[in-house]
Amino acid sequence: MKKVVVAGYVRSPFTPAKKGDLASVRPDDLAGQVVQALVARSGIPAGDIEDLLLGCAFPEGEQGFNLARLVGMIADLPQSVGAATLNRFCGSSMTSVHVAVGSILAGAGDVFVCAGVESMTRVPMMGFNPLPNPALAARLPAAYIGMGDTAENVAARYGISRREQEEFAVVSHRRAAAARDAGRFEAEIVPITGRKGTVTADGCIRPDTTLESLADLKPAFNAEGVVTAGTSSPLTDGASAVLVCSEDYALAHGLEILAAIRSFAVCGCDPAVMGIGPVGATRKALSRAGIEVGQLDVIELNEAFASQSIACIRDLGLPVEKVNLDGGAIALGHPLGATGARIVGKAASLLKREKGRFALATQCIGGGQGIATILEAV
Amino acid sequence: MANIDKVAVIGAGTMGAGIAAQVANAGIPVLLLDIVPADATNRNAIAEGALERLKKADPAAFMSRDAARLVTPGNIEDHLAALAECDWIVEAVIERLDIKQSLYAKIEAARKPGSVVSSNTSTIPLSALIGGLPTTFASDFCITHFFNPPRYMRLLELVGGPATRPEALEAVRHFADHRLGKSVVEAKDRPGFIANRLGVYWLQAAVIEAVEMGLDIEDVDAIVGRPMGIPKTGVFGLLDLVGLDLMPHVNASLAAALPAEDPFHALNRPVPLVDKLIAEGYTGRKGKGGFYRVNREAGKRKEAVDLVTGAFRPARKADVEAIAAAGRSLTALLDHDSPHGRYAWRVLGRTLAYAAFLLGDAADEVEAIDEAMRLGYNWKQGPFQLIDKVGVDWLVSRLEREGWAVPPALRLAAGRTFHRIEAGRRQVLGLDGAYHDLVRPEGVVLLDDLKLNRQPVLKNGSAALWDIGDGVACFEFTSKMNSIDSEIMDLLGKSIRRVKKDFKALVIYNEGSNFSAGANLGLALFAANIAAWTEIEQMVTAGQQTYRALKYAPFPVVGAPSGMALGGGCEILLHCDAVQAHAETYVGLVEVGVGLVPGWGGCKEMLSRWSSLGNLPKGPMPAVGKVFETVAVATVAKSAAEAKELLFLRPSDGVTMNRARLLADAKAKALSLVEGYVPPAPPVLTLPGPSGKVALDLAIGSLRRQGKATPHDEVVSGALAEVLTGGDTDVTTPLDEEQVLELERSRFMRLVRHPGTLARIETMLLTGKPLRN
Repeated sequence: MKKVVVAGYVRSPFTPAKKGDLASVRPDDLAGQVVQALVARSGIPAGDIEDLLLGCAFPEGEQGFNLARLVGMIADLPQSVGAATLNRFCGSSMTSVHVAVGSILAGAGDVFVCAGVESMTRVPMMGFNPLPNPALAARLPAAYIGMGDTAENVAARYGISRREQEEFAVVSHRRAAAARDAGRFEAEIVPITGRKGTVTADGCIRPDTTLESLADLKPAFNAEGVVTAGTSSPLTDGASAVLVCSEDYALAHGLEILAAIRSFAVCGCDPAVMGIGPVGATRKALSRAGIEVGQLDVIELNEAFASQSIACIRDLGLPVEKVNLDGGAIALGHPLGATGARIVGKAASLLKREKGRFALATQCIGGGQGIATILEAV
Repeated sequence: MANIDKVAVIGAGTMGAGIAAQVANAGIPVLLLDIVPADATNRNAIAEGALERLKKADPAAFMSRDAARLVTPGNIEDHLAALAECDWIVEAVIERLDIKQSLYAKIEAARKPGSVVSSNTSTIPLSALIGGLPTTFASDFCITHFFNPPRYMRLLELVGGPATRPEALEAVRHFADHRLGKSVVEAKDRPGFIANRLGVYWLQAAVIEAVEMGLDIEDVDAIVGRPMGIPKTGVFGLLDLVGLDLMPHVNASLAAALPAEDPFHALNRPVPLVDKLIAEGYTGRKGKGGFYRVNREAGKRKEAVDLVTGAFRPARKADVEAIAAAGRSLTALLDHDSPHGRYAWRVLGRTLAYAAFLLGDAADEVEAIDEAMRLGYNWKQGPFQLIDKVGVDWLVSRLEREGWAVPPALRLAAGRTFHRIEAGRRQVLGLDGAYHDLVRPEGVVLLDDLKLNRQPVLKNGSAALWDIGDGVACFEFTSKMNSIDSEIMDLLGKSIRRVKKDFKALVIYNEGSNFSAGANLGLALFAANIAAWTEIEQMVTAGQQTYRALKYAPFPVVGAPSGMALGGGCEILLHCDAVQAHAETYVGLVEVGVGLVPGWGGCKEMLSRWSSLGNLPKGPMPAVGKVFETVAVATVAKSAAEAKELLFLRPSDGVTMNRARLLADAKAKALSLVEGYVPPAPPVLTLPGPSGKVALDLAIGSLRRQGKATPHDEVVSGALAEVLTGGDTDVTTPLDEEQVLELERSRFMRLVRHPGTLARIETMLLTGKPLRN
């Protein structure tokens, strides 16, 4: 059977919404520069690209219209390249990878750019016109539950203490800072040029985070709760992109193959504890790949919140030392639509760097879902 | 006269930084310079630090974020050349003559010809400051003495020297008056000028007498407070605020500068207790406390120092029989045969006599001294007004009886008063023994002056309508605290009909300290307690109808607020064609604080404004969301500039910096709208209906879980959300004004019956503070 591979991964710096260096950059420009860099670095003829699949969780305002098509134009892709904007909230750009795999396997194209973007500065969470369905909200209040509240629910249901979450957050920051200081992000980060010059560095990492500093924070979502801003991923601006193509195409064009995509899955769950979404999705994906958790060498588990990350690690029995080697979203940030492509690209790169065999990229999704991708070394 | 378009302030201490902030508040770019600190990596560190502190100051130094951007910090080594661009350079550095003079030499070399230089000194005479400097400097130099904090204290003492160019003085006076909003009082080049000369004397008299008589400080503050028309901080509260450690310095500097025969010397005795407090770190509120302190070890207990033992003891309520016995009579208090009565006399008698002594010395005009104390020390009445109140002859005889010196000014005024009203004009006794008309600065019009020579066009117990000339009428609230009641609504309705017939335009204005703190809650609670629901609903309906009649009246209406304009006081402004606001106007829809929603069209007008002027993303929610987040937490704008950001004022509304110029500016604005006036078109509002309500409920629930909203907040916010989202409307069905007013009315009526709301109203009336139930 045909193999589909990841043959390129880049991202913009991730910076805090509102106060970060990318706050003044339009999301379409942000994604455009990332897509352009991915294609340029790969060296492929851009006309070979079948489709630009762009994930975005709140596709309105500057993220509106068919954002993917506009990003393609901004990136100077040939007009022949198609474009679709996909929304599965936080799972949007991982979905774009899955769609690409399906298309390639169906013989409907060889090369896809799978990207994602979110400016949480310029398009707020919930969008500009949140208008929930009153009947549904009355029948199933959790349909519109706030993400912080789900993190509290997970912490309560799984008995995860505030201290455990803070320990987890400290590790995330420490790993991210170490990776940055060792230059391990340099290959993946595309400098972004905006109104205020060129932005080259991540802005959310706080290497000085300690258990003491975290202990001083007030609960962010529930006065009686255990989740703080320090144990949540920050609101972030950023974009990411991976090049997904058939193995044959990659070999024919001399592309550096990071990993092959072995299996993937989505799985719904109770929206009130959406953070455990990765559990169901990962189990399905593992089973489809025919492997066990113990065979995983690299794991990218999106840290929407420390509480849900810990719950998933526990439920799935993930080896902590293999999770988020270069830090996770608590330290790096979580630009909703961009995270999926980032962790697929990151897991693929790490698999190569760590010389492992199998990698998992998985994340939870607001509204109650999980999504997972299993990668395999080639 | 030279325009002042750019200003430099040198010296970024409390005063210099505060002056720079007020210049920026006026919309004028300002350089704020200070020295380069030793071993500095950042050569602008001092001025930049001052700017950061200004941004965080409480009460706020800046009126808006935009104003803060007008201040450019720098240092006097690298940025002196920039003085060449400045029209006015204010020096506010440390009070040392050598330092000031060496700075002046540098300024003189850098500044452009014709620019004005002034010092904010409070202790060094102008004659000394210009000593040895070139005549070009002396002719452009004056003293501008601001009071702390410069944004809020309306007094500016202006001192010119014999060499000062009249145009230079006029340029500063005009700028300070019109742009900085200051009341400019001309003082002579005498130590302490006017306000501090008398104010320090008064404070010293009050402290010395209290210590030597061994009184309790709570009683003292009660005596010098309300009965004398002085803020309730009194003397010891005031000293805690300004800092005890300043006292010995200020006293010493005054004593050194005043001639031997000045009565101040007799009072300037050391106060061992004050020295002890300072030595122990009790320097006032900036330190660990002063005469009063909060004892955290005793559960945040407020404590007061015992003037006899020097030890702190729990603070208590003042208990002064003399105040109760005297009633409203100040002389009865001063004559009361008790230690407290004698204390009142010794302090006020001395102070008033000293004020009279200063006439001809610190200033030549009675009004200058009165205004300096009213605006520099927040006295309700100036010393000569107080003398008139007790009577010149009474004061003279009492002084004689005590064997104290009687100043010539009191002899001059024998049998008369210092102020009088003659043929509808205010007059003041001059040093020549004759009365002279009180002359207001050009363009200043005060309603209180106009009222002296005319009868109201209409009047009832809560409001009046005045003819202020040129076809403009002025509607004045006269109720207690200018709270809005049915009488105001009634007279406003009548006034609309009258203005339509006899005038061209209407201004809504008054000279209270606050435009209006809102509807009369006492009446509402009373009505609720007797279950007079129909009457309450009638009050709501009448307010809606009257404000709507005001909005669509066939003549322009201009609101002219100063101070607080809250609740119903804000809603009347929202229905005006235009507003001319004093810069220090604090507007807000604060109804949720008493468990209600705005019911006199406030929701409707704010929705309409944010929909049309808000510059928001499209769709039905952004305007609703903005109004909700403003009103649901009772946001009050802390300045007219901030009120514009919140759209309580329109971008086109005017702002007047000087309180005394507000009426004239409002009248001019009203007249400018007369020609071709067309009443506004009624708004049509597209609101989201129940879907929007669900979105707002999600936000409320989240705030509730975060502990930022109380259970009753949830009830009140829920009702507010219903009004703002249009009830059960649908986006395809736009609502007219009457439909939104009906929503306001029905939700108001639902809430006013709620026990949680009634508890809030009751608590507000009893304590003046919101109940967080």
